[in-house]
Amino acid sequence: MSERSYRALSLVAVVAVAVGFGFAMAAPPERIQGEFAKIMFVHVPSAWLAFLAFGVTMIGGAVWLMKKTPIWDRVAASSAEVGVFFTALALLTGMIWGYPVWGTFWDWSDARMMSTAIMFFVYVGYLALRRSIPDPETRARRSAILGIIAFVQVPIVYLSVTLFRTLHQGATVVRADAPIDPVFLRALMINLGAFTIVYAAFMAWRVRLARLEDELEETEAVADFDIAGSGITAPNLGEVPGDV
Amino acid sequence: MKAGGFWQQAKEIARKDLLVEGRAGEALYITIPFGAVALMLIPLAIGTDRPLLAEVGPGMFLAVALLFGMLVAFRQTAADTPPQRELLTLLGTDPAAKFVGRTATSTLLLLAFEIVLVPVTILLYNPGRIPNWPWLILVMVLLAGGLALVGTLAGSVTTGLRTRNTLTPLLVAPLSMPLLLGSAQVVEALRREESILPWITLLATMNLAVAVIGVVTARPLEESSR
Amino acid sequence: MIEGAPIADLSRVGVRFGRMPVLRDVNLRIDPGEVVGIVGPNGSGKSTLLRILATLLKPSIGRAAVLGTDVLSEGTLAARRQIDLLGHHPGLWGELTLLENLTFVARLAGSPTEKAERALDLVGLGGAKHRRADHSSHGMQRRVEFARVLLTRPRMLLLDEAHAGLDKAAQALVKAAVEDVQGREGGVVLVSHEPDRMLPLVNTTYHLEGGTLHDRTGMT
Repeated sequence: MSERSYRALSLVAVVAVAVGFGFAMAAPPERIQGEFAKIMFVHVPSAWLAFLAFGVTMIGGAVWLMKKTPIWDRVAASSAEVGVFFTALALLTGMIWGYPVWGTFWDWSDARMMSTAIMFFVYVGYLALRRSIPDPETRARRSAILGIIAFVQVPIVYLSVTLFRTLHQGATVVRADAPIDPVFLRALMINLGAFTIVYAAFMAWRVRLARLEDELEETEAVADFDIAGSGITAPNLGEVPGDV
Repeated sequence: MKAGGFWQQAKEIARKDLLVEGRAGEALYITIPFGAVALMLIPLAIGTDRPLLAEVGPGMFLAVALLFGMLVAFRQTAADTPPQRELLTLLGTDPAAKFVGRTATSTLLLLAFEIVLVPVTILLYNPGRIPNWPWLILVMVLLAGGLALVGTLAGSVTTGLRTRNTLTPLLVAPLSMPLLLGSAQVVEALRREESILPWITLLATMNLAVAVIGVVTARPLEESSR
Repeated sequence: MIEGAPIADLSRVGVRFGRMPVLRDVNLRIDPGEVVGIVGPNGSGKSTLLRILATLLKPSIGRAAVLGTDVLSEGTLAARRQIDLLGHHPGLWGELTLLENLTFVARLAGSPTEKAERALDLVGLGGAKHRRADHSSHGMQRRVEFARVLLTRPRMLLLDEAHAGLDKAAQALVKAAVEDVQGREGGVVLVSHEPDRMLPLVNTTYHLEGGTLHDRTGMT
């Protein structure tokens, strides 16, 4: 990708978000929740993209395990980072919405929020693991495996919390189960599209950055060491002062 | 010369791990008292209101069993040094057999850990009689097995890393959430005399899923620990 | 395995750790009954080369075949059982006694456990077999490793600084182990930065420097 296409993609992302924001503002206030419902235009796309991003992390890892080409590891790592960002955004907007509507920042009986929070910590762990492994191949391999484990775990976590919720009907005021106003739905879809473009732009930049990081690491490593043993010479005892 | 099969290898690894742990005493003499102390600290933090403590007792037991049980699951003596790993590799040990053997040892140690914590919880929290309590024995086994599986798996992901001791708990804690939730809900369901089947199924599913993942990923993970 | 086929055959092997090259264009063929010595200064890649031969490390480029199978291919698991590597640090569990360590190895290798006790007698540790490994000296631990070699009888034996830490009597063990493998038409590689003690044992010596293997002397 050329420098211009990176910039073009970023510009498209900014425009898309602006359009999405416009539609969100123009949407009518919700019957019961009023303007508060509009936070959904950020919350729902963020949550969806978090799942998408972590799915891409799993696929990137799996392809890396098969092909061992560095690009797939960079895709997996970048997507996890972007995914953690969107997960945090989804959690934050969920809590901001929850306070006026549910009367509490955190609803223990909401399966989606609980699973999202767990997912957030799992992928924070994934990023921490990556930071802990200096060797690129070991890092790629182990994080690929963790990426797969983590994603397989998502449905189990979701299932367990759903089970938890259905057996303990929570004292929630409003559930968004009612049919959605078509105008509201259209604005939601447009925002979903806009956020997906933002994801694509983040990914393009992040993967490029990862490639540059790898190249820098390589240059430094080669400059430092050249070849095994070449930095080691015979001790030069003649120059050592007597009192050492 | 014929080398042992898969289960034979798993058995030998488990036997060796138990022997090593028995001599080192890391779980027995360090983690178990640590867990018991934690159970003492909680009432001091939340207040010594007796009905409240009776209410939260089983939950505290589970939280401590999970958080401190992790320390049992990835105790230092369950981690091989690079020469030990290489020796096992050259002896043709199947990494999956190693996973199974190590998980078996951890499950036994975790059960011992839980068994010690039970009377401590009863004495300190006096939770009262839970109807049909023998089911809780099954829960303890599933919790120990599940935590051993997740712990061993996370332990192999972090093998040889300098941050191992802090990173492994971060990986294990969120992943073992279904275990905690499932176990806690069995206690709740028993108290209300409701069906515990969904929760037992959840715990069993979790055990099975992690066991499958652990066996399947054992070999690719082993390749990376060099 | 085909009769007369090489024990190990490395062709144009290169290794990088991350992006740092450690070995470059290494060609090495070890024939049945051959004892190879590799000398080279600290950090020249000797241990890395041994780890490739032991199938513990995959070359970044080039081809490495050991006991008839490509390194880290499907067949490696079977080949590995016929390889033993004595590295810098002994592969022992400190909490176990010397005998327990060796019995564990015997069980995994599928040999009778009585042999473990006999092997310890042979290396002169019969009187110390119930001592814990972490209470034993480095030289004793090394002897346990040689007992392991007697027990598992590998077709390829890889010795990294084998003489280090061994007293004069124990050095006979190196010789015995090397000759045993050699006598069974196996292959031996000895690696050292001080070649004096190992030279009498070897057929061919190579010099490893700057990640490249130089054919120094053909002494056969």
